[in-house]
Amino acid sequence: MVQKNITVTVLRTDPEKSDAGTKQRYTVPFTEGMSAMDVLDYIYQHLDSSVAYYDHAGCGLGICARCTGRINGKAGLFCQTPVDGGGELVLEPTGKDRVQRDLVMKKK
Amino acid sequence: MAETYHDTDVLVMGGGGAGFRAAIEAAHSGVHVTLVSKGPLARSGASPMAGADFTLDGTSMNELGREGDVNDSKEKVFNDIVTQGWYLNNQKLVGQYVDTAKSQLADLMEWGIDITLSDQRAIFTSGTGIMDVLLKKARAVGVELLEDVSILELMKTDGRIAGALGLDVRTGEFIRFRAGAVVIASGGWHKAFWPNTGMRDLSGDGIAAAFRAGADIGNMEFITFCCNVFYAPPIWRGSLAPYILSLVCGGRMSDRNGDDLLSGFDPVLQQKGVLTEWNKSFLSYVSTLAAREGRALENGGIHYSRGDVDWGFMQMVGGVIFPNWKYKAIDFSTWAEKLEKNEPVEVGPAVEYFDGGIVVGDRFETTVPGLYAAGEAALGAFGANRVFSAVTEMLVQGRDAGRFSAEFAKAKKAPEPKRDAFREAEERACAPLSCTGGENPPAVRRNIQEAAHRRLGPIRSEGELTAFIGMLEDVQKNVLSNLSVSYTGRTYNKEWFDALELRNIVELLLVSAKSARLRTESRGVHFREDFPHTDNDAWLCETIVSRGEDAIAFSSRPVTVPHMTPPRGKTPYLEMMKTLMEAHSDTGGKH
Repeated sequence: MVQKNITVTVLRTDPEKSDAGTKQRYTVPFTEGMSAMDVLDYIYQHLDSSVAYYDHAGCGLGICARCTGRINGKAGLFCQTPVDGGGELVLEPTGKDRVQRDLVMKKK
Repeated sequence: MAETYHDTDVLVMGGGGAGFRAAIEAAHSGVHVTLVSKGPLARSGASPMAGADFTLDGTSMNELGREGDVNDSKEKVFNDIVTQGWYLNNQKLVGQYVDTAKSQLADLMEWGIDITLSDQRAIFTSGTGIMDVLLKKARAVGVELLEDVSILELMKTDGRIAGALGLDVRTGEFIRFRAGAVVIASGGWHKAFWPNTGMRDLSGDGIAAAFRAGADIGNMEFITFCCNVFYAPPIWRGSLAPYILSLVCGGRMSDRNGDDLLSGFDPVLQQKGVLTEWNKSFLSYVSTLAAREGRALENGGIHYSRGDVDWGFMQMVGGVIFPNWKYKAIDFSTWAEKLEKNEPVEVGPAVEYFDGGIVVGDRFETTVPGLYAAGEAALGAFGANRVFSAVTEMLVQGRDAGRFSAEFAKAKKAPEPKRDAFREAEERACAPLSCTGGENPPAVRRNIQEAAHRRLGPIRSEGELTAFIGMLEDVQKNVLSNLSVSYTGRTYNKEWFDALELRNIVELLLVSAKSARLRTESRGVHFREDFPHTDNDAWLCETIVSRGEDAIAFSSRPVTVPHMTPPRGKTPYLEMMKTLMEAHSDTGGKH
């Protein structure tokens, strides 16, 4: 079986460097039934552990809603949004004004 | 960095049911209470993930206006908790559970809990429903609530609790708490294992901090795995949905060859071990056995399918538990299609509940003055195997821990924490931020998690435990002090938290693996391949772990048995399990 990959673009923001947001690209091997959160976990564990997404607490199962972000432009939960193999995936924070870092939003 | 102090009378560590219930009760006593939650308020830890059942005797339920078996009694519940716990329970805590569950349910009903339905001895609601009620009540009684704050270390002065060091996870700033009493209600340490049942926050911070502060812990070898947890697809991994469905409906469990997993087992085990909450220990044991015999699927799990269960019945049950095959934001509709067509999904055991924890007395006080513990973080109520409800446990224990910690804080003026101790703890915590060229925290974590699942699963052996202990000791000695991060800023730095949590995870795994190696028998959720008998002559005792000045000391404490006398002799594990299943009272229900 040919390994399918996903090309992922993550919008990164580092407030400690007054960074306005840069696009970073990663290639992640696709597994059937992956969520956007699984993609982020792969990046964090294998490619670039400096990426920030709300992960220190939370459920991963669609209950706490702290992993809300934009997946290919559409708002949703990273943990319960399925992704397609072989395609492009763009992950962004929900807005530009309240970004704590990368995909983590400040508290309202 | 500026030194920020935060003063309170009672500091509650943990934002789940036990923590909230403790905070509400302490605030009722008129003291200032601060509750610190590592994740989102009322939406982190294990509590909101619960199904959830609040379990108590049917007669008490009936008296509160719910259905419930009127032939049920507190004595029967007591009998069932103790036999389910393989007689390793602290019976004083079982008594507290049984005696106070009714007034606890009355509180919940008064505060507006939404009850879905009830059976002979349980009311069914939802974890999020319970947490919402508790959050509202905590706000009403003036509890100060902090979220996304992690407690790193407890502070002592002259042997007494004086405060704690916290970390604001979002900003990376330290918070120095001064407190007259602290309640540990931070639950289990699921994050030490992969896969687990969700909850990305539970790394045993409370148990580990209490242990470092000198509190005894015990029975750390007893770890309950939930059976039939989704292993695949990844988006559902860790979800308990197949477990709940199989508990109500049954279904077929099979191995990679398509062979039935249960054939050959005693009919009583097959019946009670699938259709009651004994399923957690029995099916997890059976699934692990299959995996160890090379009969597992791709991800190490087994197949679960509808089998000969009528689709109409399963659809009806599914409609009640997961309306439209949705549970919160999870969409299970493709799974429903598979169930109808009798196609399997991959499921398996995943870590769910920690039966051991911090040693507590009758007032939920620990061995450190001013330090209290409640809920899953505390040792005792369930012994070697939990079948009864942890939701009831967290609430009954939380309430008493809250009351007694408030009394302590009121009676005794809080000592001043030492500035140097805070500074030293802060410097220790910051080490990974300035270490360069060291090991990568997420990689170390994942490696340990997978090993823990294999070595500390439902089936253990001396050789595997020894190998695992060796690995952990190497990590503790050579790796933990050499963790470095690729992003060195303090704003929401996940790698840094991983590094901080790893210290707790490694410590608790080590204590657990050593306790498991010491216990040369099989009991409850601890099965030793090399010691397959339950040994009631030698092992009716709790494994207690104390922290001395130089080293960790293991000892044992005879089990607390004021009411029910345990059996004697040595019995093969499954035979003992069958006897205990049959010792259940005549009351129905899943518990």
